[in-house]
Amino acid sequence: MKGFLQAALLACLVAVTGCATGAKPLPLNGDVFHDAPLAIEQGPPRDKLLWQYRLALAEMRRGQFDAAKPVLDDALLTLGGLYGKDSEARKSRRLFQQEAKKTFIGEPYERAMANYYRGILYWRDGEIDNARACFRNAEFEDSDAEAGEYKCDYTLFDYLDGFATSKLGGDGSDAFKRAEASARGAKPPAYDKSVNTLLFLDFGPGPVKFGAGKYNEELRFREAISPVQSVQVKLDNEIVNIKSADDLNFQATTRGGRVMDHVLANKAVFKSATSTLGDAAIISGAILATDHEHEQAGFALLAAGLLTKLVSAATTPQADTRCWEALPQFLALGQFKLKPGQHTATVNFLNAEGKTDPKFAKQITFTVPEGRDAVIYVSDQSTTPQTQ
Amino acid sequence: MVAGIAMLAGCASSGVKNPSGVPVTHMNADEQGFVTGTGVESQDLVAVTDKMARSILAIPQIASASTPPKIVLDPVVNNTRFPINKDIFNTRIRTELNKKSLGKVTFLARERMAALDKERDLKRTGEVTSTTDPKAQEFLGADYFLTGELQGLSTRTKAGTSDYILYACQLIDVRTSAIVWEDSAEIKKQGLEDAAYR
Repeated sequence: MKGFLQAALLACLVAVTGCATGAKPLPLNGDVFHDAPLAIEQGPPRDKLLWQYRLALAEMRRGQFDAAKPVLDDALLTLGGLYGKDSEARKSRRLFQQEAKKTFIGEPYERAMANYYRGILYWRDGEIDNARACFRNAEFEDSDAEAGEYKCDYTLFDYLDGFATSKLGGDGSDAFKRAEASARGAKPPAYDKSVNTLLFLDFGPGPVKFGAGKYNEELRFREAISPVQSVQVKLDNEIVNIKSADDLNFQATTRGGRVMDHVLANKAVFKSATSTLGDAAIISGAILATDHEHEQAGFALLAAGLLTKLVSAATTPQADTRCWEALPQFLALGQFKLKPGQHTATVNFLNAEGKTDPKFAKQITFTVPEGRDAVIYVSDQSTTPQTQ
Repeated sequence: MVAGIAMLAGCASSGVKNPSGVPVTHMNADEQGFVTGTGVESQDLVAVTDKMARSILAIPQIASASTPPKIVLDPVVNNTRFPINKDIFNTRIRTELNKKSLGKVTFLARERMAALDKERDLKRTGEVTSTTDPKAQEFLGADYFLTGELQGLSTRTKAGTSDYILYACQLIDVRTSAIVWEDSAEIKKQGLEDAAYR
């Protein structure tokens, strides 16, 4: 009995000390402009990419495009170099290590959006071919969906790929056909090379991850109903209604199973089996221990049961639910032919009944340069008024 | 014993990768480092620009020209899924050609025209000195355009990601629009991420 108690105490002590992370929590206050630089600089390296995503998008939404560029560039560099052995990723597949301990790169829709935003910034700078590279890469991120019909099915990325090709003097018709084929709503307009102002729009709350299943081992996405369903733009006495081209909720939920889901499912089975086995051993041991003849065997079984329960408790099948939660639900594109010079656009976001909500209205002043495209980015979360 | 084990377990707790850091490693630009992806990397750039520079110097229009041909670099067009810094590609080709040609070609600094125009205007207005007649037109016209394109083909399956990139360069006679030289280099890379990322 004495030996059993010592063993149990030792096991508990090791388990408790082994859990300590050693790192002090960062003094985050919920303001991304405070939290992200702090987390990128001092936080766990495994979360760096997530904070870079968050910071870059927040910078874009307040019109600080030059600040967003290096942040996205660094994030995309990390994304591009993940091939081969990765000790943190390997550890995250172990029974006693959480998936969230691996370096965050995001789900395909998050990685696609990082590329998409960088593409917008390249187009802003007049580097249309690099913008096209980003849109292609964004589409490529969606190429590992389980079901073939959901592979590379972003309308806007293909459309922009072809549009950039067309602007560069090439033939964008293949990409346009792909965009047409994957359009779930209105068909995209034919390319017009004389368009010189592109208005990139996003709106509505994007997907948020959560863990489902007995041990939260199944990665799921919570979809909110967006208060904004379309956009109305007033520009130079013209009013244009713009509908979404892509829905990130749809993209997030149509990827299908991940390889990691199988790993987590196995972890969950192991956790459940060891827990059940531990319960059985503890109950059997306790019953046996009451019998004087089998007292020793009873305590041994009890000890084995407790150890099995400890192993079960230490197994971590929880899915990684770290999430780029600021992403929008809908992506849209407006195209205009404007005279070079300064213009002001009023962007109204409309609800399902087509009514505007003044709290989402944005006013953007921008300049159309000579011989180059003006590229404007507006979200329902953008600050207003803005000069871009 | 309990305290000892507890201390040992506590020490291994932070899970920090490379806690002592990784010292700076000097690499040659043409060798593959330990940080790699399937996109355009320095070793590709070096290999491709080296090949192009050697190839272009061998053509008669350059090797047998009585006066050094004047070349303008037109930025390469990126038709891959990898955003690249196109200037670095142009700069390396230019420096390699200048280094290896020993004066057989002259590059024109068209990307500096704004500054050059400004300087010429200052000379013409007499605000700065000039060693020659500032009114004379001395900016040179190009004999050839050197340009190129990067094209890519990407595949992803359960076995991994494969990227093929074709680097093609052309020398175009600006008078006739004839392509007097063309060469290409191909690089293919494959990789597979850890299962945790799939």
